[in-house]
Formats: sequence, C-alpha cells, structure tokens
Amino acid sequence: MSASHTQRTTSSVELDRTASWYESSARTRVRLLLDPGSVVEFIGPEKREVSPHLKLFDLPEQFDDGIVVGLGRLDGSPVFVAAQEGNFMGGAFGEVHGAKLTGLLRAARDIGSVPVLILFDTGGVRLQEANAGELAIAEIMRAVIEARTAGVKVIGLIGGRAGCYGGGGLIAGCCSALAVSEQGRISVSGPEVIETNRGVEEFDSRDRALVWRTMGGKHRRLLGGAEVFVDDTVQDFREAALELLSSIRAFGIDTLKAEQSRLEDRLQRFGACPDAVDIWTAEGIPDAVSIPALPADQFIALADKVRRSSRDAR
Amino acid sequence: MTTWQRGREARDARIQAGARLAKGKVVDARDATRLMEAVVRPGDRVCLEGDNQKQADLLCAALLAVDPAKVRDLHMVQSGVVLPEHLDLFDRGVAKKLDYAYSGPQSARIAKMLFGGKIELGAVHTYLELFARYFIDLTPNVALIAAVSADRDGNLYTGPNTEDTPTVVEATAFKNGVVIAQVNEIVDKVPRVDIPGDRVHFVVEADKPFFVEPLFTRDPAAITESQILTGMLAIKGIYAPYGVRRLNHGIGFNTAAIELLLPTYGEKLGLRGKVASHFALNPHPALIPAIESGWVEQIHCFGSEVGMDEYIRARSDVFFTGSDGSLRSNRAFCQTAGLYACDMFIGSTLQIDIQGNSSTVTTSRIAGFGGAPNMGSDARGRRHPSEPWLQAGREADPEGSTLLRRGRKLVVQIGETFGEKNVPLFVERLDALELAERLNLELAPVMIYGDDVTHIVTEEGIANLLLCRDAREREQAIRGVAGYTDVGRGRDAKMVQDLRERGAIRRPEDIGINPLDADRSMLAARSIKDLVHWSGGLYAPPSRFRNW
Repeated sequence: MSASHTQRTTSSVELDRTASWYESSARTRVRLLLDPGSVVEFIGPEKREVSPHLKLFDLPEQFDDGIVVGLGRLDGSPVFVAAQEGNFMGGAFGEVHGAKLTGLLRAARDIGSVPVLILFDTGGVRLQEANAGELAIAEIMRAVIEARTAGVKVIGLIGGRAGCYGGGGLIAGCCSALAVSEQGRISVSGPEVIETNRGVEEFDSRDRALVWRTMGGKHRRLLGGAEVFVDDTVQDFREAALELLSSIRAFGIDTLKAEQSRLEDRLQRFGACPDAVDIWTAEGIPDAVSIPALPADQFIALADKVRRSSRDAR
Repeated sequence: MTTWQRGREARDARIQAGARLAKGKVVDARDATRLMEAVVRPGDRVCLEGDNQKQADLLCAALLAVDPAKVRDLHMVQSGVVLPEHLDLFDRGVAKKLDYAYSGPQSARIAKMLFGGKIELGAVHTYLELFARYFIDLTPNVALIAAVSADRDGNLYTGPNTEDTPTVVEATAFKNGVVIAQVNEIVDKVPRVDIPGDRVHFVVEADKPFFVEPLFTRDPAAITESQILTGMLAIKGIYAPYGVRRLNHGIGFNTAAIELLLPTYGEKLGLRGKVASHFALNPHPALIPAIESGWVEQIHCFGSEVGMDEYIRARSDVFFTGSDGSLRSNRAFCQTAGLYACDMFIGSTLQIDIQGNSSTVTTSRIAGFGGAPNMGSDARGRRHPSEPWLQAGREADPEGSTLLRRGRKLVVQIGETFGEKNVPLFVERLDALELAERLNLELAPVMIYGDDVTHIVTEEGIANLLLCRDAREREQAIRGVAGYTDVGRGRDAKMVQDLRERGAIRRPEDIGINPLDADRSMLAARSIKDLVHWSGGLYAPPSRFRNW
C-alpha cells in the first residue's frame, strides 16, 4: 500500500470521527470509535440470535437483538466493545441482548488484560421479557464486578438517544469510569416513571430542561457521577476512552470504601438541595443558572476547575 | 314611532351596569365574575378569545364562575376551543350552542360532549369563514379578549400574538357589542396601539400572563429519514419544476423537514432565490436556518411562536413588525394572504381517501379545521397570474383556451404511508363520514376536498392528480403512492404503470433521488440547540423543548 493511500484513509477516518455520537447508530459508533477495520463481531446478525420472546407479542425482532459485541483495537491496543442500539426498542435489555454482554464481560474476566468499553444507549429492561431482562441486569452487574476484580478496566460511554436508564443506570454505576456528553442522561428511574409514581409536582417529565439538568451529562459530571464530560463527537468519545484507560487505578475493597464515603459525603452536602442549580451554587459555581447553555469547551474548563472527580473511588 | 337605536341603547345599558364595578375602564380581577354577570345576558353570542395560541384564560375562568341563574344558554362563537374550561362552560349550562374552527387538545372531549348532547353544534368552520360570519350572522354581543398591556384609556398592545383580536373587536365594537380585555399589565403608555381605546369598554389586569401554547415548534431531533425522503421528493419534484416562491407550510414534521432541507439539499439543487421565498406562515423555528441562509424574503404571520420574539425583532427585513419593533401578526389577513396570494399549500393530514379527500377527524376526535381548508383550496376568485398557478392550470386542462383557462393553486398533501403508531394514512372511507352519520350532520367534516388536492407525496413517490383525467385515474394514482396499506395493495398494477409512464406517478428514482441518501445528516439543524446556534442565540426555546 502506498504512503499516500494510507494518508488518505487516515484523514477520511478523522473526518468521519467528527460525526455526532448522538446521531450515529451502534454499528457506526463501534466502527468509527475503534481503529479502522479492527473490529471482529461476536454472534453477529448473520447468526440470527433473535429474542425468543418478542414474537409472542407480534413485535419485530432484530438479528443482533439490539447489541453489537466484539473485539477491536483502540490506538493499537485490544479492547472488547459492546454497543447498544437505542433505535431498537429503546436499547432495552432482553434475554439475548443481556447474555451477549454477560458473555463478553466473562471472556474479559478470564483473559484479564483486555479492557471493556460499553457504549450504553438504553431505557432499561425490555418490558416484554421482564424476568429474563431483570436476571440479565443482575448477571451483567456481577460480571462487571468479577471482571474488575480480575484487573479488567470497564468503561461506560454514554451519549445516545435513549440515555442510560433503569438497569443500564445500575450497570453504569458498577463500571470503573464513565464518559458522558451533554445529550447523555444517566439515571435509574426515568422522568415519566418518577412523574407517574410521585406526581407532576415532584417531577414534570415534560419539562425537558428540568430533565436534563437533573439527569443530563453536565450535571452527572459536576456531581462526580461521570469522570469525563465530552463534546458530542466520536473523536471526543475516543479520546475520553483513551484518557480513562490510562488513568484508572486498581480495583479492590479500598476502592469500594472510597466510593461509599464519596457517596455519603455527596448526600450530606447536597441532600437538601431541591434542584441541580442549587447543587451547582453550593459547589461555588458563579452564575450556576448559565451552566445548561454553556458550550462544551467552556463547560469542560469550568468543570475541571470546580473539581476533579476522585480517582480513588468507584 | 320606529326606534332605530335599540342595539345602541342596550349596549349602553350593559356598559352602565358594568361601570359600577370599574374605575374608569379598569375592573379589578376579583370583580371579573361580577362584571360578567353585569354585562352578559342569557342567550348572548359571546366570543371568548381562544385563538389557537393565546387564551383569555382569566376572563374564561370569570365567565365559568357566574351564577347560571343570571347568565346561561350562551352561544359561543370563538375560533379555538382549546382550554378544558371552554367546555366546562357547557357542562355548567352557562353556554349552550357552539360555532368554532379549531379544538386541538379538546378534540376528544368535544366529540364526547356532542354525542352526549351537552353541546348544540352550529358548525365547524375554517378561521376565515368564522371571521366572515362575525360580520354577517354571528356578530358577538360580547367579546372577551386578551392583550399584553393596556393604558387607562383602553388602548391595547396585543404584542406579537395579535392573532384574531382586531377581527373580533371590529365585529363586536362597531355593531353595538361590549369588548372586555384581560391584560398582563396596565401601563401609562402602551408600546404601540394595536386596538384603539374607544373600541374597548373594560380592562381587567390579570395576575399572570395569558396562556400561550408553543404550537409550531417541531424538534428537528424527532424528524425521521422517511420524512426527509418525502421532503426531498417535494423539493425536487414540486417546488423546483413549478418554481413555487409564494407558499404556506403546514405544521407537521414533513414540512419541518422541508424547511431544514432548503439550506442543504435545496442549495445543492441551486434553488435559492427560485423557490420558497415568500411565506404566509407562523414563525416556525425550523425555518431559521433557511432565513439565515438567505432563502426567505418575506413572511407574514397568523400568530407568533413562543421563544421567537427576539429573533423576529432582529429580522425585521423578513417579518412584519410594529413601531415598537415586535411582530405584528393578524390571523384574518394572513389567512386571506394564504388563500389568494400563495401558489402552494403543503401539509400533512391523518386520513386520505381514494378520491383524495382528507380529514383530521377520527370517530372519537373532532379537531376542527383551523386554517388548512383556506390555505388548501383553490381560490376561485383569484385573478392575478403567476407561473406556478398557470402551469398547474395547463396540466389540468391542456386543451383549454389559453386566455380563458384558470390557473390552479398547488395543494399538496404530504405524509408517510403509515403514520404515527403505524396507522395507515390511506383509507377507503374517511372516519369523518361515520362521525357525520352518528351525529346527524348535514356535512361531513372534510378538511381538504379531493378536487382541490393537486399532489400527494409519500415515501413511495408523488401522485400528480392534475394529470389524471377521470375519477378512476385519480383513484389509481392515489393507490399508486399508498405503498403497503390496504389501499395501496388494492391497486391496478397495469394502470399504475401507465400513470407512471405519463408522469402522473413519479417514484424517487424517476426524479433522480436515491432513498438511501435520505439521511439526518442532510438536515441543516438536527436539534433545537442547533436552531439556537443558527439564530445567533436570539431564539429562546421554551423549557419543554430543551435537552440541555
């Protein structure tokens, strides 16, 4: 291959990596995030491992059950990758979908040296296969902790249309570190669920600005729920993944103790705040109401000044 | 001796009764219900300003609280039945009869109350039609209107959402009626006079601003690839060949897609300056990129849109603005502009039958018409020529005498063969007919009649009904773009093939469009935030549209 050809390939990949993470499909994210041509998919769509439950409800299936799992390279080093497709049933966890991620994490645990990137884009458990889905969440959480105990770094990247909700939020909480964009939302109960159970006075799910400042990427970064905030491009997520892979410390009982005390401290400091703006103000951010409108670069600079999240915890 | 001043005397008596509660023209909000009881008489025709956007909500609540022994059996003549309280009036017996144009969010309840006999229905109108009747046989005795501010003489500033107010006041004040305005604040001097004070008899200061619904904001994030494909088809297959410069857009996602494709796809086709330059349109946020890219010369508005005020103020070359700098909208004038001065209407609907009739009525919902029938009908009184209008006329009647042949307005229905929740757009028979039978209506609520429709655009292609010579051809042209719906599968394959060869049906590939190119990356803005960026920070979207 000639030098000029290599150069052209490289620059076109860089151009593609300016693509919006939010707008991209799971497959596009995987293809652009990792080194060109490096991805080998496991149990791909050609295997047609579809959900055994959806046809009972006369619902369409997808040949990959809404998740891509495989092995690729990131800047030359091997990584396992799993990417949820938010456009198929809101990226929800079903039996096959969950089993593919569990299997990937167990493989990582057994090998011990290859990190895992999970590209979350999920509303939580697929209601049509509730029991299987709930079991899958529990298995995945266990598998994440087992992998981390075996020395594997597990990183979550969150910036998709469906956000990271329900069981997805629980799994994200088990990861070594998270990177999130403004569009990404991380929570367990979704806005509509909270409103349905606690009333519109408690949480108005139609007030999207409220939803975003409570669950969105900026707030999660400032609260320490996500380690890195990124702009909405594949390139930014790639750089964040590389940064996190190089900075995560070893995992053990001390990590969990540090995480416990981080969360206790957070609850004590902010537990009485009725709104995210009050938390930001309590953090000493001047003009906290302007945070949602800040462009990504300015926000990153501000967030880095406010506090680096503790790398001992998680 | 004959008396010719009875109306005036009755009006003066009402004003006198109300004046006991007023200081000058100003009545305290706490006395608003007593004012209603003093001024409104049983059986009155009342226009309670419910436009499709702004609502005289305080006056509505005041009217709802009257003693039905004093005020009852009113005949409501209002364009929009939008608030739940508008229908509560009928539940309480304060109101009995209704003539209206649009019911949006109340469409299900209004249907239920019609079936239950709670409402005696006059008719469902178009805006322009109801406004016309205000001056002939539905003149209000009392108008309850909403404005931004008033001075102590009753001069009103209606602000960007002027909408129906001048029409309602004209009909009421000049025919012995009483006009009561609720205002957000009373000031020494209004920013501009939209309604002169001598047409306003009472002013009530509300404790909170009147309610305005952001009805025309479509989030670009929700636009699908098939909507983008229909938008590409419309631009390349209709806007370009007819050279449509003067037009009105509906409020659906398909037309929002078109607005966002103009600066990208339209630019690539070299159409800037040649199409879509003059609009009768609300200030759609989705049009911001096209305006900023120099596509749009002029827009006249029915109403305003929440969050667009500062942007409009800064773009007075494009919008109609007052001496104070803010938008001046006027629904009656804009509807007239859409009817007579536009060469095309393009919008979506819920159902289209095999004759091309379309309706937004389903058996359990009566949404009304709003303005679509005025926009989406051929103006038989039109006399000025324009190229798109003449070209459409030629296609419909190629043999006719050039100097005597009428042109045709392009009336385009655009949608996907399966709409929301996979409900087919095409039906053999409109639900509106069943509704009319069940309610014993003399006329089924059809939004746009088939003989006015010139084109139907779906992801399957464009049906040009102007090129169809009889009812059978029209039916097959419609079936031909109805895809896999039952209507589509009922097509005569041979006839559809013949129609395609004649250009009465054009598939995407027939006009050089590859459906795989319909990608969200083609939209000039893919989120509300992108629109804010395009506007240079001037567009301030309401909270419910922000995902940041």
